[in-house]
Amino acid sequence: MDYVSNGALMAAVWLSAPGRLVLDAIIASTAGIGLLLSFILGRRAMRRQYFHRRDERVFALRQNWEAILSGAVPAANWRKEPLDSEIVEEMLLDDIEAAHMARHSGEAARLLNVLRSSGLLATRLHEATAYEGWRRRRALVALGRTRAPEAVPVLARALEDPELETRVAAVRGLGGTGLPEAAIEMLDRVAGRGLSTPGLTLQNSLLNCCQGRPEILRPYLHQPEGRPREMLARVLGELATPAMEEDILLLAADPLPEVRASAARALGVARPASAVELLSELVKDREWFVRLRAVVAVGTIEDARVIPILIEALCDENRYVRLRAAGALAQMGPRLEQIVSKVIETHDRFALHAIISEIERAGGVARLFSAISDPSRREDATAALMQALRAGQEQVRSAARAERKPAVVPKSAKGNS
Amino acid sequence: MLLKFILFSNYSLFFYYLASNLIYLALLIIALMASLRHRRRLASIRLDRLRHSPLAPPITLLAPAHDEEKSIIESARGLLALDYPELELIVINDGSTDRTLDVLAEYFQLRPADLLYIPEIPSAPVRGVYISQNEPRLVVVDKEPGGNKADAVNAGLNAASKPYVCIVDADSILERDSLLRIMVPILADPKRVVAAGGIVRVLNGSRVADGQLTEVHLPKSWLEVLQVIEYLRAFLIGREAWAAGNMLNIISGAFGIFRLDLVKAVGGYRATAIGEDFDLVTRLHRYLLDQEMDYKISFVPDPVCWTEVPADLRSLARQRARWHKGLLDVLWPNRDMLFRPAYGRFGSISLPYMWFFELLAPVVELVGYTTIILAAVLGVLSREYFLQFLIYGYAFGTMISIGAVLQEEITYKRYNDWRDVVRLVLYCFFEHFPYRQMYLVWRLQGFWQYFRRDFVWRPMKRIGFQSGAAKK
Repeated sequence: MDYVSNGALMAAVWLSAPGRLVLDAIIASTAGIGLLLSFILGRRAMRRQYFHRRDERVFALRQNWEAILSGAVPAANWRKEPLDSEIVEEMLLDDIEAAHMARHSGEAARLLNVLRSSGLLATRLHEATAYEGWRRRRALVALGRTRAPEAVPVLARALEDPELETRVAAVRGLGGTGLPEAAIEMLDRVAGRGLSTPGLTLQNSLLNCCQGRPEILRPYLHQPEGRPREMLARVLGELATPAMEEDILLLAADPLPEVRASAARALGVARPASAVELLSELVKDREWFVRLRAVVAVGTIEDARVIPILIEALCDENRYVRLRAAGALAQMGPRLEQIVSKVIETHDRFALHAIISEIERAGGVARLFSAISDPSRREDATAALMQALRAGQEQVRSAARAERKPAVVPKSAKGNS
Repeated sequence: MLLKFILFSNYSLFFYYLASNLIYLALLIIALMASLRHRRRLASIRLDRLRHSPLAPPITLLAPAHDEEKSIIESARGLLALDYPELELIVINDGSTDRTLDVLAEYFQLRPADLLYIPEIPSAPVRGVYISQNEPRLVVVDKEPGGNKADAVNAGLNAASKPYVCIVDADSILERDSLLRIMVPILADPKRVVAAGGIVRVLNGSRVADGQLTEVHLPKSWLEVLQVIEYLRAFLIGREAWAAGNMLNIISGAFGIFRLDLVKAVGGYRATAIGEDFDLVTRLHRYLLDQEMDYKISFVPDPVCWTEVPADLRSLARQRARWHKGLLDVLWPNRDMLFRPAYGRFGSISLPYMWFFELLAPVVELVGYTTIILAAVLGVLSREYFLQFLIYGYAFGTMISIGAVLQEEITYKRYNDWRDVVRLVLYCFFEHFPYRQMYLVWRLQGFWQYFRRDFVWRPMKRIGFQSGAAKK
């Protein structure tokens, strides 16, 4: 067989098997290109037109905004146009949000009444119960933004939906209301059968709803196990008040480290009478991140009793805990020289270097020097600086060599004084 | 015999491209679904609360800089202006031969400082550590040149004091809320998520003011626009889809966040690595799977890092050859992970894909071109086959590229000017010739350089940020 007939044979074989597939693939790809192009360009064109029209209508409706709110322009006039209806709803929801942020409860109530009287709220309630999929989810989120108490039972029912996205929308909606009764609906489920939604979404919603009355968390704090318990503790960590001291105390002794870490955070936020004592225990916790959170909390408390706790934390085996403690100590301006002296007494070279680093970073070295010129502080400051100099680079280097991995590279003259 | 070879080659090529394209199609569909899901979820996360939250874990930003005097001030200012409750910025001056350190010292009033520096990870000697007198969050580490970015990052890792490190390129611009956004998966699941990558996009053509991007436009030159398409395809399709299955194999060196303890546990960046970002993520996977840890490495498509891409062919050729060298440099030492059950999906899906459809792609392509030429010379080239195969490759490749543009359009929509979108779509049709063939040559050069042990770093020609004016 010569090459030409070989070529023909190959072409024949090719066309009989993969060739057909290739033809199909070409057709499919070309169709795909066409569809994608039409979609991109068509969508652009439609969106352009839509936004142009929308801008015009927004302007027109804004001109008559007060008349719409007062009812001088009857709702039936703008509700018959779906675009107008959508714009008015959006504007009302934005204004409700702004009114709540500015704490104008009267204005928020007036706007909510417009939603009610115009039938927009009823439409959303209907969509949230009668429909499925994205229409329902959009309605759930919009209902949350209305902050209407009558939306809460509808939103709560959606928490039972088998679709995760719908449950997420319901949680978002409940969070959007910012109402304690919405929090109770979520908490009941978290403490009971559990609520399967992304933790961060649920946590944000609970934070929003419990802000005004964090005490509603109390009956639920000790019920759930595992992750839900950690999540509730985190919410408490953000919103705790001194009145919740007992709950924090219990959480501080919890077997879950994440819960203990949140208790430490709560102590820093609420600062109850027992905060310093409890935190002094938590900085000795076996989990480093609990100790870290405790040190961060201790650093926020302005009390002389925290200095020894922070100095102890400065000798922690974990680097982050040491650095956090050093950072907090370095901020304690007037007591700096005593702090350095006490750190020197620990004979912990890493602790000393950590505090010197942080003091340097915070510009505290200059303060130490200025303390020398003050007769009442001279003795402490001089001793601190002398000790610091003696316990400087060489000691850190030898200590580092003694450690398993770390070693210190001598810095050249250019960078270090 | 020759005929049999040509026939075999034809069939093999066909099935190779079919498999490759089907995988890309699957990745496109997964990516579209993942980004839509991400956007819906994002709507329920309150970034404003995170912005002021003392609970947000502190972050150290590491910005290695080598001869960046043109852009370093704007870049550092941009990084310091990021929305995040607690961050420190460590600029590592990697033995710059220009005035990088001087301009930093002048602008930020640097002074030498005696900060704790324990070289747990080896790097070239550190000449000094400086802190700023007008910006307490800034630390500058001045070191001897290490010859590569990895060495500079390692020096920065030693100086980092926060539990998370975000590695960025000093010549890149992060969007103001990008740190908040990249932290979303970590905050949602801090125990499992050990690292996260953001999207890197092409800065050329856009406007920059005060270290921040003010207007997004496509670049003017064809070479840069084609790179825009490549970046969209790589990030919005590839990384998004791989991350959805927890098989992400690269977190771009231009923008990624990592748990510092884990990066240190794997020994930081491998100083000799050519593709240090790919190498680090692969070693993290290996370490975490060896430890049998339940972990996740995430990709977040909306925290955007804008970076300058090569505007001339010479720089682009060098960059692409280096990337391919880097790929080989990581895949070869980690070949023992292939198909080993201990390495799960990463070892049995992600790495084999990288081997067969990324690393070996230029070889297969070269064999394809050779076969066609050979068949033509011998007179056995079936024109029908050739034409069909050409049209098929062209149409499918174009469709995938347009798919990436679609992904950008329906989700993130950074190009607001419709002319930019039209140009972007048009260029999807033109990237197959001669750009694809040039790319093939550059990748083969990468192979050649690797086998010749040519690991010299060849810098890219940079324009620098132009405040208030569009670049290019």
